[in-house]
Amino acid sequence: MIFIVLFCFISFPEQRNINELKGTISMIEHERNDIEIMLDNVGMVYDSADGKEVTALTSVTMDIHKGEFISLLGPSGCGKTTLLRIIADLIHPTSGNVLIGGVSPKDARLKRRYGMVFQSATLYDWRTVIKNIELPLEITHCPKKERHERAMKMLDLVGLSDFADHYPRQLSGGMQQRVGIARALALQPEILLMDEPFSALDEFTREKLHVDLLKIWRKTNKTIIFVTHNIQESVFLSDRICVLSPHPGRLSAIIDVDLPRPRTMDIKDTPEFTALVSKVRNSFEGV
Amino acid sequence: MKKLKKLLTSKFFITIVWVVMLIAVWELFAFHVENIKRTPENVQPHLSGIVDSLTSDRKINGSQTALQMVIENAKATLTRAGIGYIIGIASGFLLALFMSLSKIVEKTSFPYLMLIQLIPILGMAPIINAITGDIAKSRIIIAAILTFYPVATNTLAGFKSVQREKHELMYSYAANKFQIYTKTMIPACIPYFFTGLKISAPMAITASILVDTLQGGIGLGCLLSQSLKGAMTRYVFWDIVFFSAVIGILSFYIMGIIEIMMCPYRRTGKR
Repeated sequence: MIFIVLFCFISFPEQRNINELKGTISMIEHERNDIEIMLDNVGMVYDSADGKEVTALTSVTMDIHKGEFISLLGPSGCGKTTLLRIIADLIHPTSGNVLIGGVSPKDARLKRRYGMVFQSATLYDWRTVIKNIELPLEITHCPKKERHERAMKMLDLVGLSDFADHYPRQLSGGMQQRVGIARALALQPEILLMDEPFSALDEFTREKLHVDLLKIWRKTNKTIIFVTHNIQESVFLSDRICVLSPHPGRLSAIIDVDLPRPRTMDIKDTPEFTALVSKVRNSFEGV
Repeated sequence: MKKLKKLLTSKFFITIVWVVMLIAVWELFAFHVENIKRTPENVQPHLSGIVDSLTSDRKINGSQTALQMVIENAKATLTRAGIGYIIGIASGFLLALFMSLSKIVEKTSFPYLMLIQLIPILGMAPIINAITGDIAKSRIIIAAILTFYPVATNTLAGFKSVQREKHELMYSYAANKFQIYTKTMIPACIPYFFTGLKISAPMAITASILVDTLQGGIGLGCLLSQSLKGAMTRYVFWDIVFFSAVIGILSFYIMGIIEIMMCPYRRTGKR
C-alpha cells in the first residue's frame, strides 16, 4: 500500500504535460488579472489556390482585459479580420494559443460568450425587428414571455422601442445596424465582436452610432473587440488600439488611448485627439 | 401630362393594350381565313364563334353541352395535374434539402437532373406507361416529373443564397443543424421555392393535357384529340385551347398570391 502511494508521488509530476501546467498557470493568472482574452503567439497560415502558403498573421501576443474596448486597426490584408475570426472560433489558428476567459474559443462559443456584429446588419428580412432580436433566444429555448421581455429591453437599450414591429427593410442603415447590436447583446455575452460594423454607413450616421455604442458599452460593461480601418473611429472609441501591419499581418503597436470618458463628439476637436491620431498613423509599418 | 404618362406606363393599361392587340390580330386572321377556306373553324375561327359554342345549350354528345363537357374533362385532368404537382413539389423540395445537406448527394445528382428536362414528355410518357401499366398513374407521374426539376433547382438556389454572415451568426449561437434549417435556411429559400412553383404550375397542367392525348379516357387532352379527329365539333378543340390557356395563367397567379400571403415582409413598406 505504502509502496503504491510512493509510486504515485514519484510518477505523477513527470506524467503531467508541461503545456498543461502552463495552461493551469495562465488560468490562475486570468482570475487574478481580470484578463478576458489571452492571445499567445497566434499565427495563421493559409494554403492559397496555387499551392503556396500565405501568411495572414504572425505571432500575435496580447491580453485583453474584462470590460475593455479594443480596436483592431489596420489596412486591408493586415489580418485584423482574421484575428477576430480566430477569437470567434470561426477559423482555427495554425500556431499559438487562444484562451477566452480561461477556455478555448470553441468552448467559449458553445457557452455563448460572444455576440457578433457584422459589416452588414445581417438581419432576417422575414422577421420583424423584435423577432430578429428574439432569434438567439429562440435558439437557446428561452421561454416565450421572457424572450419577448428581454428582446424589448435590448431594443430599448439601442433606442428603437418604437420600431419593434417594423420589418428590417423599413429601417435606415443605421437603425438596422443598431438592431444588429441589440441582437448580439440578447444572449448577454461577455464579449462583443464587431467586424467593421459602421463602415457601410454615411459619416453622419456613423458619428451618431459611435456615441450610441459608447453609451451601450458603458451600460452593459461588455468587452468589445472592434475591427476597423478608420483611425479616427478607433481613437474615439477605444481604450487601446492594436495597430496591425500587412505583409505579413502582424501586431506592430499597441497604443493606449487615455482620453477621458465619457467621450462626446467635441473630443475630436482637442489637440490630444489629433496627437493620438497622428501617433497611430505613424505606427504603421510597410503600408 | 404627368398623369397621362403614369397611366400609359401602368401595368393595368399595358395589359389592356396587349389583350386588345391580340384580339385584333386574331380577328384579322380570322377574317382572312374566312375568305379563303371552306371550313374556317378548322384553321382559325372568329372569337365570337368560340364564345357562342361555350354559351350555347346545344347537346354535342347527346347529354352534355360543350361547356359541361370541357368542365367535366378539365376536372379529371386538373386533378391529375394537381396530384402530380404536389408529389413533384414534395420530392423536389426534399431532394434540394438533401443536396444542401450533403455535398455528395449534390455532386452525384444535380448535374444529371437536367437530363430529365431534355427528354421530351411524349417520349417519356410511353415508357412510364409501360412501367406503371396504368395511363392515369403515368399522367400523374409525368406531371410530377416536370414539376420536380424547377422546384428542386430553385429551392437549392435558395439554400445557397443564404449569406455567409447568417451561417456565422448561427454558428456563434451554437445552433444545431435542425435550428439552422428551420430558422435560417428554409425561411430564406421560400421566395426561390415559389419561383419554382410559379414556373412549374403551368408546366404540370400543359404536360397533363399533352399526355392525355396519348390514350383515351376522360381528360382535356382526350377530348381535344377526339375533337381534332372530327368526333365532335371543332369548336370543342378551340374551347379547350382557350380554357387551358386561362387555367395555366391562373395557376401562375394563384401561386403568386399564395406567396404574397406567406411572405408579408415582401409587401410591406418601402424598398
